[in-house]
Amino acid sequence: MSACKIRRDEWIGFLGGELDAEREEALRVHLETCRPCRDEVARLRALSAEADALAKETQEAMDSVDWAALPARIAARLPVRTRPGLRPATGWRAALNGPRLRPVLAGLLAGIVLGGAAVFFALRRPSVRALAEPYFASGEFLDRVELEMARRQTLDYLDRSRYLILDVLDEPSGSEAAAAGPLASQEARDLMTRKKYLDPQLDKFRMAKAKDLCDQIELLVFELTQLSPEVGAAEVERIRILVRDRQILMKIRLVKKELERSEV
Amino acid sequence: MERRDGQAAGVEREVSVLMALVKEGDRDAFQDITRCYQRKVFALAYAFFRDREEALDIVQETFLRLYEKAALYREGEDFQGWLFRIARNLCIDSYRRGRQRRAGYLEDVRVDALPAEAAGGADAERRSDLRALFRAVLDRLAERQRTVFVMKHCNDMPYQEIARTLGIAVGTVKSLHFKAVRNLRKQLGPHLGTTS
Repeated sequence: MSACKIRRDEWIGFLGGELDAEREEALRVHLETCRPCRDEVARLRALSAEADALAKETQEAMDSVDWAALPARIAARLPVRTRPGLRPATGWRAALNGPRLRPVLAGLLAGIVLGGAAVFFALRRPSVRALAEPYFASGEFLDRVELEMARRQTLDYLDRSRYLILDVLDEPSGSEAAAAGPLASQEARDLMTRKKYLDPQLDKFRMAKAKDLCDQIELLVFELTQLSPEVGAAEVERIRILVRDRQILMKIRLVKKELERSEV
Repeated sequence: MERRDGQAAGVEREVSVLMALVKEGDRDAFQDITRCYQRKVFALAYAFFRDREEALDIVQETFLRLYEKAALYREGEDFQGWLFRIARNLCIDSYRRGRQRRAGYLEDVRVDALPAEAAGGADAERRSDLRALFRAVLDRLAERQRTVFVMKHCNDMPYQEIARTLGIAVGTVKSLHFKAVRNLRKQLGPHLGTTS
C-alpha cells in the first residue's frame, strides 16, 4: 500500500462507485498487480459489509413496525392548539391557567378591584369638598398676591410719574406749553387718583421708602394740576428746581430698582 | 434523473400545502406528513441507537416537535432537511442523556479483547464479534462523522442530500465520510481480514 501512490480515499470512492469510468478502470487494473491495495480494498469491503449489515438490520427493525397505525398514535398525543402556529402554554403559564388556581386568581382579582375602588374613593373625598367651595386658597397665598399687586401698581405709578416729570422738565424754559398743558394736567389728575388707591396698600405692606417717595410725587403732581397760563413760566421753573433739588427722578429710579428686585 | 427531480418538486409542493394546514392545526395533514417521512426518520434514529424502541421514541418526538414548531417552517425551505435536523438534534440529546447508561456496554466491547482474524476461531462467532466491535467503534466516532456515515450507509442518502440536511458543503460531507471510514478502518484493521 505504502509503495503505490493510490490514496485510500480513492478506494473508498472506488467501492462507492463515485469515480469516473476511466479512473475506475485504472484502479481495477492496478488492483490486479498490487497486493497491498487488494488487501486494503478487502478491508474496506469488509467494513462496507458491516455497514450494509447495519442497514439490513435497520430494514428488519423497520419491517417490524406497524407504520399504518403510527401516525394516528402520534396524532393522539398532539396538544390542543388554541391559535394556529402557537404552542400551547407549558410550565408556569399552564399552571396559572389550571383549574386549581382559578379560585385563587379570581379572589386575587376581586381583591385588586375592591382595593382599587377603595383607594379611588379615599383619594376622591377632598376633591368633593373642594367642589362644594368654589375657590380655596390659603391666607398666606392671598397676602403674597396682594403684595405682588401692590408692588406692580407702585412700579406703574412711579413710571407714569417719571414720564410726567420728564415732560415738564424737557419743555423749553419759559415756554407757554410748559405752563400746564392740558395733557400734563390730565395725566397729573389720573396719577392723583391712582395714588389714592395705592396708599392703603403701601401702608399695609410697610413699603415706607416707596410711600415717602410717592407722597413727594403726589405733592409735586398736585402743584402741576394747579398750574395755569396765568401763573406763568416762573412757577414752572420753581417746580423744576424742586424736582432737581429733591432729586426726585433719581429717587424714582432707585426705588423702582428696589421694587423690581423684590419681585414675589 | 429529470423525472426524479420532477417528483421531488411535486413532493415539496405537496409538503408545503400540508405544512400550511398543519400550521392551522389540521391533524389529518399532520398524519399525512408523518406517513410520508416516518420511515426515513426511523432509519436515521435506528442507525444512531440500534434500538427499535428508542428509534420509535425519536420518531414520535420528532413529529410532535414538528407540530409544535410548524410556525417556524418557511414555505419553500427544504422540508426533509428541516425535519432531519429536528430528528438529529433529538437523537443527539437523547444520545447524550443515555451516554452514561451506554458507557458500560461500550466498555464491555474492547477492540484488543477480541480475537484477531489471524487467531482463527469459528467463522460465525468471529463475524458476530466483529459486528459488535464495528458498532462499538461506530459509536465512538465523532458526532458529525457518525451522522454522515449513518446517513450515507443506512439512509442511503447521496452526498448532496446529506449536505443539504446538515447545512454543510458537499466537500465537507465527503471529508467527514472519509474520516469516518478511515477511523473505522484504523480501529477495526486487524479484524477486517485480507484477501491473502
